[in-house]
Amino acid sequence: MHHAETIDIMQEPRHLERARTVGHQALFVGVAALGAGVAVALFGGKLDGFLKSYLVSYTYFLSLALGALFFVMIQHVTRAGWSVTVRRIAECITAALPIWLLLAIPLIAMAAKIYPWMTQTLLSPDMAALVEKKRQYLNFGFWAGRIVLYFLIWSWLAHFFYRKSIEQDSTGDPKLSHWMHQRAAIGLVLFAFSLAFAAYDLIKSLNPGWFSTMFGVYYFAGSVQGFFGLLIIVVAWVQSSGRLPRAITTEHYHDMGKFMFAFTVFWAYIAFSQYMLIWYANIPEETRWYLSRQTGAWAWFSVFLLFGKFILPFLFLISRWPKRMRELLIVGALWILLMQWCDQYYLIMPAENPESAGAGQLPLHLNDLLCFIGLGGIFIWAVTQRMASCSLVPERDPRLHEALAFENY
Amino acid sequence: MATIVHEFDNTFEDPQKRPPLVVGDHSFHTVTEAVCRINESPTAPALWWIIFVGGVALLANLGAMIAYLFFTGVGVWGLNNPVGWGFDITNFVFWVGIGHAGTLISAVLFLFRQKWRTGINRFAEAMTIFAVICALLFPGIHVGRVWLAFYLFPLPNQMGMWPQFRSPLLWDVFAVGTYFTVSLLFWYTGMVPDLATLRDRAKTKIAQIGYGIFALGWNGSARHWHRYERAYLILAALSTPLVLSVHSVVSFDFATSQLPGWHTTIFPPYFVAGAIFSGMAMVITLAVPARVIYNVKDIITLHHLDVMNKCILATGSMVGFAYITEFFVAWYSGNNYEWFTFKNRQMGPYWWSYWIMFTCNVIIPQIYWFKWARTNIPLMFVISLLVNVGMWFERFVIIVTSLHADFLPGAWDTYSPTWVEYLTLAGSFGLFFTFFALFLRFLPIIAIAEVKGVMPRKHAHGHGHGGDGHGHLEAAR
Repeated sequence: MHHAETIDIMQEPRHLERARTVGHQALFVGVAALGAGVAVALFGGKLDGFLKSYLVSYTYFLSLALGALFFVMIQHVTRAGWSVTVRRIAECITAALPIWLLLAIPLIAMAAKIYPWMTQTLLSPDMAALVEKKRQYLNFGFWAGRIVLYFLIWSWLAHFFYRKSIEQDSTGDPKLSHWMHQRAAIGLVLFAFSLAFAAYDLIKSLNPGWFSTMFGVYYFAGSVQGFFGLLIIVVAWVQSSGRLPRAITTEHYHDMGKFMFAFTVFWAYIAFSQYMLIWYANIPEETRWYLSRQTGAWAWFSVFLLFGKFILPFLFLISRWPKRMRELLIVGALWILLMQWCDQYYLIMPAENPESAGAGQLPLHLNDLLCFIGLGGIFIWAVTQRMASCSLVPERDPRLHEALAFENY
Repeated sequence: MATIVHEFDNTFEDPQKRPPLVVGDHSFHTVTEAVCRINESPTAPALWWIIFVGGVALLANLGAMIAYLFFTGVGVWGLNNPVGWGFDITNFVFWVGIGHAGTLISAVLFLFRQKWRTGINRFAEAMTIFAVICALLFPGIHVGRVWLAFYLFPLPNQMGMWPQFRSPLLWDVFAVGTYFTVSLLFWYTGMVPDLATLRDRAKTKIAQIGYGIFALGWNGSARHWHRYERAYLILAALSTPLVLSVHSVVSFDFATSQLPGWHTTIFPPYFVAGAIFSGMAMVITLAVPARVIYNVKDIITLHHLDVMNKCILATGSMVGFAYITEFFVAWYSGNNYEWFTFKNRQMGPYWWSYWIMFTCNVIIPQIYWFKWARTNIPLMFVISLLVNVGMWFERFVIIVTSLHADFLPGAWDTYSPTWVEYLTLAGSFGLFFTFFALFLRFLPIIAIAEVKGVMPRKHAHGHGHGGDGHGHLEAAR
């Protein structure tokens, strides 16, 4: 590694007060959009449709925040040097996790409208009998309790890593890094189980007859892929606002791009494995889930996902130069973010029963957009409030100098 | 020659500095000396002879068992209907798994810029090659009519007979074959500069010619280094998806079926994690004695072992996550057959194999949460052996418990391996250790050129030891 020049981090503009105003605006727009969505749902009489739209954007932004939490922990557990200058931004993104517990309230309150196992009447008699066997796990009280538990784990972890990192800004104590290193290892174990089971509870149980051991890994893969898209966008925004102009370089974009590429491939690997194994064995109780996604317009949506979430980004990101050209990388990152939303749409929206009327139609609705804007506004608000309140770089991290001098070779 | 005999603790946890990857008072020259003397010494250490003679004896036994099998037929094994796969495929999957750590360390850790890999990558890669050879043996000999084993490959023939391209067994032939080829290329490419070093130092004519041929005319010029680094990066990028794909395809052998306990979608990443887990354990099993026999403790340091034990903890926990997920989803599926199979694994006739697997793979590695355990050499040696036992039993559990009791109780049967199968398993270790002993004796067991690239003094130290061929390292880095 070549130490061309030493950057003094204290000379870098590293506070973004403007974020607070941006956050307030986003919150205003978000709440207005959600309000409009509720109004549309109430007047249209389709509250279940609204809730499903809500769930799509809910699990979407949740996945990005969880990806951020994973990123923070993996940097600590591997004692990464290159990423120190972008780690604080990921810590800020995790600020959405406690807010998302609050946003789970409408979901929990009206869960019976979209989770068919809660009201047996929505299911065929065979399916109802099957669900009855899972009653010990699939019952409202346990389900709601689990959701709260997951969020307590995530919020606690996110809070810990943020708080300790901020503490290091003032004390510069290297012991804090060691402490975070140890906590991250344990945190990752908790994270693995909580994320997988949250994916089962929030998404998989929409189809209570269906099961796949890969499902948690699938949600994880998409989460981290989407997160790197978001990280690139937020870092670019911070820099376009004139902050951290020299602390974050093309080298960091290049590495974030590499990780986005890696998780694009990883997502495809997981998605392919899950699909191929179910397709090959061709067991009706498993293929049913995919049948809903291959009926009518959904078949085209599946193909769109295959190309949009894997093949195109794969070809786009495989070369070195798009990862080092900021404008291009931002386009790629925005596309990945869009596709992660489409993936949530694909997981949540299709009908439980592939033979039901209208199973082959994409239930595109204004509420999909309103919920996206609504939850997105709240998400941006949560993240920017934290960004405005702290330094955008862990300025006294003992490995900061490695990130500042970092070069790909 | 500067060799430090005592164990230097470079596993400190200070976030302000990175631990040195080569300890002791080493210069570039002494690193070359420390590695090359292993191959140049006219006599081999006693322990090497034990490994080699023991390996050859077991290899002879393997030859005898295979001959017996060929001349008598697969009836000499304890396979029956329904348990048509027993030790043979268990051993195959076991050895393929072992063969994962080498390429992971070389390729994936290279892309992740984990510089500690340089101390261990060479012999981890060698281990990969030999383990894959051991693995490839078993599909070849288990086919029954061995004279038709070439049917494994899609060879054009007059009868127009082709393998079933839709069968994962054929995918396996391609996946493992590709993996073996690329791993071999990777291993060899990385070794070329070191072979040139040995060539330049060689005193005997045979050694000069032998190393000379394989060093491919390497002269250490900047142009050579440039091309070498390019090739290495490309091979690393090619190998990385292969690390994932090989064991994923091996898992397809099971998971594409409809058999409870085999058909589960988490199999591909779960198999990959398990393979890395067992491979890392095998690296520890080999590294701990090797660094003592050849006194390379200051190149394969305590820090290297500490980090590998962390990898074992991480991958062992991933495997544990998969076991728990499988078990939960078997219940959650509401499918009686699925649930029976998993209960049968834990409490059926093969309960002991399940609990050996779970204890060795999930429970025991949890001790690596503690640093004293990760840096305790006798303990890690024992744990590495136990992990390998556990991972062998994992494959045994998957294969035998799912086969012996499937959908029709009337078709159930238990499987007891015969002495031929036990000796064949032992023989595969003979094959492995024979190759490994030869590698230790004749090839550079540590990537000399790469280790120099991570030495703390690489910038400060003057160089130019002529024939060593490492004077250009700095120019290339």
